[in-house]
Order: sequence, then structure tokens, then C-alpha cells
Amino acid sequence: MVENRRFGNLPAHFVLIVGVIIVAFPVYLAAIASTHSAETIANGQLSLLPGDQLIENYRRALFVGTSRTTRALVATMLLNSFVMAMAIAIGKIAISLLSAFAIVYFRFPFRKTTFWVIFLTLMVPVEVRIYPTYAIAADLNLLDTYTGLALPLIASATATLLFRQFFMTVPEELTEAAQIDAAGPLRFFRDILLPLSRTNLAALFVILFIYGWNQYLWPLLITTRDDMQTIVIGIKKIVATHDALTEWQLAMATAVLAMLPPVAVVIFMQKLFVKGLIETEK
Amino acid sequence: MADVQLADVKKTYPGGFTAIHGVSFVVPDGGFCVLVGPSGCGKSTLLRMIAGLETITSGEIRIGDRVVNQLEPTERDIAMVFQNYALYPHMSVYDNMAYGLRNLKTPKAEIESRVAEAAQILELDTALLSRKPRQLSGGQRQRVAMGRAIVRKPKVFLFDEPLSNLDAKLRVQMRIEIRRLQRRLQTTTIYVTHDQVEAMTLADMLVVLNAGRTEQIGAPLELYERPATLFVAGFLGSPPMNFLKGTLESPVCVRLDDGNAIACEAGHAAVPSGTRVVAGVRPERAFLRPAGEGLAMKVELIEELGVGRLVHGQLAGAPMTVAIGPDQQLPGNETIGISIPADAVHLFDAENGRRL
Repeated sequence: MVENRRFGNLPAHFVLIVGVIIVAFPVYLAAIASTHSAETIANGQLSLLPGDQLIENYRRALFVGTSRTTRALVATMLLNSFVMAMAIAIGKIAISLLSAFAIVYFRFPFRKTTFWVIFLTLMVPVEVRIYPTYAIAADLNLLDTYTGLALPLIASATATLLFRQFFMTVPEELTEAAQIDAAGPLRFFRDILLPLSRTNLAALFVILFIYGWNQYLWPLLITTRDDMQTIVIGIKKIVATHDALTEWQLAMATAVLAMLPPVAVVIFMQKLFVKGLIETEK
Repeated sequence: MADVQLADVKKTYPGGFTAIHGVSFVVPDGGFCVLVGPSGCGKSTLLRMIAGLETITSGEIRIGDRVVNQLEPTERDIAMVFQNYALYPHMSVYDNMAYGLRNLKTPKAEIESRVAEAAQILELDTALLSRKPRQLSGGQRQRVAMGRAIVRKPKVFLFDEPLSNLDAKLRVQMRIEIRRLQRRLQTTTIYVTHDQVEAMTLADMLVVLNAGRTEQIGAPLELYERPATLFVAGFLGSPPMNFLKGTLESPVCVRLDDGNAIACEAGHAAVPSGTRVVAGVRPERAFLRPAGEGLAMKVELIEELGVGRLVHGQLAGAPMTVAIGPDQQLPGNETIGISIPADAVHLFDAENGRRL
């Protein structure tokens, strides 16, 4: 809609600004709180301007830990989260690319059935199968390991479905041209399909990275050691202390740090991400 | 270099639909064969069977002295140009042409020289080689697609309606280039089109297909001048041949349904008198006469082509088109006379459409 009324979009802007404030203010408050001392926050004297404890708070959160507990350092938890999120994103993409490739380009017995079985698992979220999954992970000695954190979350019907739809829009002549150009199936996959899926890959990577980064229930179950904890669980544990004063400034600093990697991924991949969602380049 | 032989080739799809009902022909080494027919006649299927992209239900296809029925497309030593070019969108023009050779483990220097040679043959500017296909015009893409075929130095070129995505002017130009290229490279070529002008101008050998069967095989002019069936007669030529229904009265005379008679060439002695026939007349072979002379034709529409005019109307209850020169005047406004020379009349059996 293109309109040329000078003040016509004032109401629209008003609504948008209110919306942005509602969403952004808590984030702003967290960032501000992470720069004050524990006492200021505990006394309810938190101002809306940054305090002077910025460097001290972040240094303690990252490298020292909270004073009254033996919690893991935020740096360790960030690393754990990063490894898990990367493993989930890359693993999901790799597996679903290959299964979509098989479903679209190969004729094998029960091909349709296979597809529908994969499709059906879409309807079963992790929470439903969490007990058997945990049992298997425990039997395989995967508790407190990176493999245990990432592997059970790697299978993805959604991504398989997405790549299947994309592969089906790739013109058939391209496949045939590759066939005549002496490209076998895997070469065709590597040389033609992968480069064509580039933007889809990027978009999916962003979504899946954030999905992995935000995992809560599964890491909570599978990790018991402090040094295997992920950042999302870490925040919760910093906040929930039994009898001591919660060190809110460190909790807030941790929360801000936890937000940064997903934001960075979105910013760095934004161009490709948007392209992948809107463009059908053939 | 090789010839291509098809012996009773059939294609039945798993659903039971038969697309090709036993087609046989031989394309001689270095020949240019055009498969032509209306859409859905099976011409593309047949080409794809030769390429190895479709399986062959029965029959035998030979390229040179090898039966290729069971061979993969790569092993058949063919190259194909697709209707929508099928260039790899993410590769540069150079890589598009080099891809097949790389997969065949051709030495790098050899690839470079072959691509350069192909670019030169096709008059592709070397600056274009680093571009992506989407930065090229339709004509340039077409050339790259042909370049990809040329660099392989295959035994057979297969073209699947390569010009149908181009505009009319470019199509004429590329048509001439394809013919010139084929003359120069002397590679056996099989070309599929639904455009009868392309078919007539390109082919050494024309195969007219209809509903999965060959209607007629031969040199273009031979088919034009002596079509074996009503289908071929109606398909080749633009504007198409006129068909007048009537009864054979004597070996040299056809009585049209409106009672008038036209003469035809002798040679139908074996056909019994009284046979229902269709008399075919090419628009350019009928002459105008003043009204009242010859056969009466009701004029309905005149099309100006610049190089001449097409007069459309009704004659003996059937649509009739006559082509006349640009400076020829119409002898009347509503009704004119038409005369048809005896040697311009093609006679077909009205029952089965075969030439008499």
C-alpha cells in the first residue's frame, strides 16, 4: 500500500512504537541491570540509566562465577550452548538434506511410506518421546556428553519437508542435463543441488541454530555436571538460590550474554536468510 | 560419427498408456533428422528414449554399431539441448560448458581448448564466459546450451524444441545457425519440433509422428509434394492444404459435393469409381478467375502478408484458402472464380486418409 498522506501513517507509527517499547523495554532493563551493583538492585533503586559496574559484572559472570555457589562459568556454558546449537543445526541440515534427496530423486520400495512416516513424526514433539529418548541416551552412556545433548534432537521432519519441497521445484531438465553430463547422483547432489539450496540452507541454519540454542528441557535432563550445562539452564540456576541473595546483576549479565550469539547469527546471515525465505531463484 | 537406427521401438508407461507404437527409421551418419508432430504425439518421448532418459519397453536403438538400450545417457555418447536450456544457474558459462568434460576426467588443457573452440564456433564473446546464465539474453543462453553439447564432441546431437522459448525473429536466426553448425560439424543430429517451418527448413530427413506412430518418413520436399496421408498433407505447409470432399467419378475426375467437377492427374486407375475421396489443394496452387468462371468461391476474409495475400472463403461447403501475389487484383468482392490445375490435386481415401 503506497499512500501519500503526510500524517496518514501517524497512527500506524504510534501503534508500532508502542509495540516496540513493550517488547524492547524488558531487554533494555536487563541490559541496564547488568551494569549496577547487587545492592542497588536489591534496594529497588535501579535507575533507567547505566551504572558503573559494567566491566566488573561481566568479568565475574564470564570468568569467576557467582560468589556463593560453585556454578559453572558463563564462558563454559556459552561454549556448551554453542557446541550444542551448532551440532543440532548442522546435523539436522545434513540429515534432512540427504533424506530429502533420497525421497525426491530415488525410486525405492516404500518411498511414499518412508516420506509419510517422516512426515508423521512432525506431530510428535520431543516432550512426548522424552522418556524413551532419555532411556536410550542413558543406556548408550550419552549423559553429560555433547553427543547426548545434540544427537536426539537432530532428526528433523520439518527440514526434510522443506528440502523436499525445494528439490521438487528444481527443473527436471537440470537433473537430466547433469545425467547427460556424466554426473552421478552424489556428484549431482554436491555440484548442482547444494549450491542451488544455498539460500535455503542459510535460512534454515539461522532458525535451527536458535532452536538449538533455546533448548531447555532436554539439556536439563541429560546434563548433571555443572561444566556440561548450557547457558539457558545456567540463567535459571543463577536466579534460583535457596537462602542467599540472588545476584541479579550477574543473572542479567548472563541473560544478555545468552542473547548475543543468536543475535549475531541473525545479523551475519540476515541477507542470505531473507533471500532464502522470499526468493525462488532458479 | 555414427548413424542412429531405431527398430520397432515401443514405449508403454507403467499405467498402461502406450506413447510410442513401434517406430523404425535410420538416420544416416551426419544426417539431420527432424521429428515433427503435434503436441502429445510422442516425439519428445522418442528423443528422450534415444538419449537414455526414458526406458525402452521393446525394440532396439543402435548408435553406430552399439545397441544402447541398456546404456546410461553418458555411455551413449550423445549430447542434448533442452527446450529451456537447462543451464546450471549457479555456474559460469565456462563451467556450464566444462562440467561434463570435467566429470569425464578430461585434462584441463584439453577442456580449455575445447571450450574456447566452441565459444569461437558459436561466436560467444570471451567476456561472456565468466558470466552467470541469468545475465545472458535468450539467444546467448541458447548458444551456451549448444556449446555445452559441442564441447563433448558426441556422436549424436539431440535437440528438444530448442527454439520454442525464443522470439520469432531470433528463432529464424538461430534456426539458420543450427543448420550451419550441423553442416560444419557433420554430426548426426536428431531434432524435435512442433513447428513445421523449422522442420521443413532444417531437415535432411523428416519423420512425421502422430499419436505415437510414424505417418511418413522422407526428405522435406518429398513429403510436401507427395504427402502419404491426410495428416501429413494437413500438417506440413502454412497456410495448410485445403481439403474438398467429393466422389471419384473416373480416374481423372472428382465430382465435388456441390456438383462441380475438378480434374485430377491420371494414375488412379486401380481405384474404383464412386470411392469417397478428399481432394487436397495447396493454397498457392489454386488460381483466381473472374466470377462465373471455374469453381465459385465465397470470399469471407483477406489477410495481408506484405509478400502476398491470403484469401479465405468457402468452396463447395468447405473452408478454402488461396494465396495470391501482392500485385494481383481480386476479380470480385463477394464471389470469385477458382481454377485448380489437375497436377495440383492430391487425392486421399476419405475412409482411411491414405493417398490414392
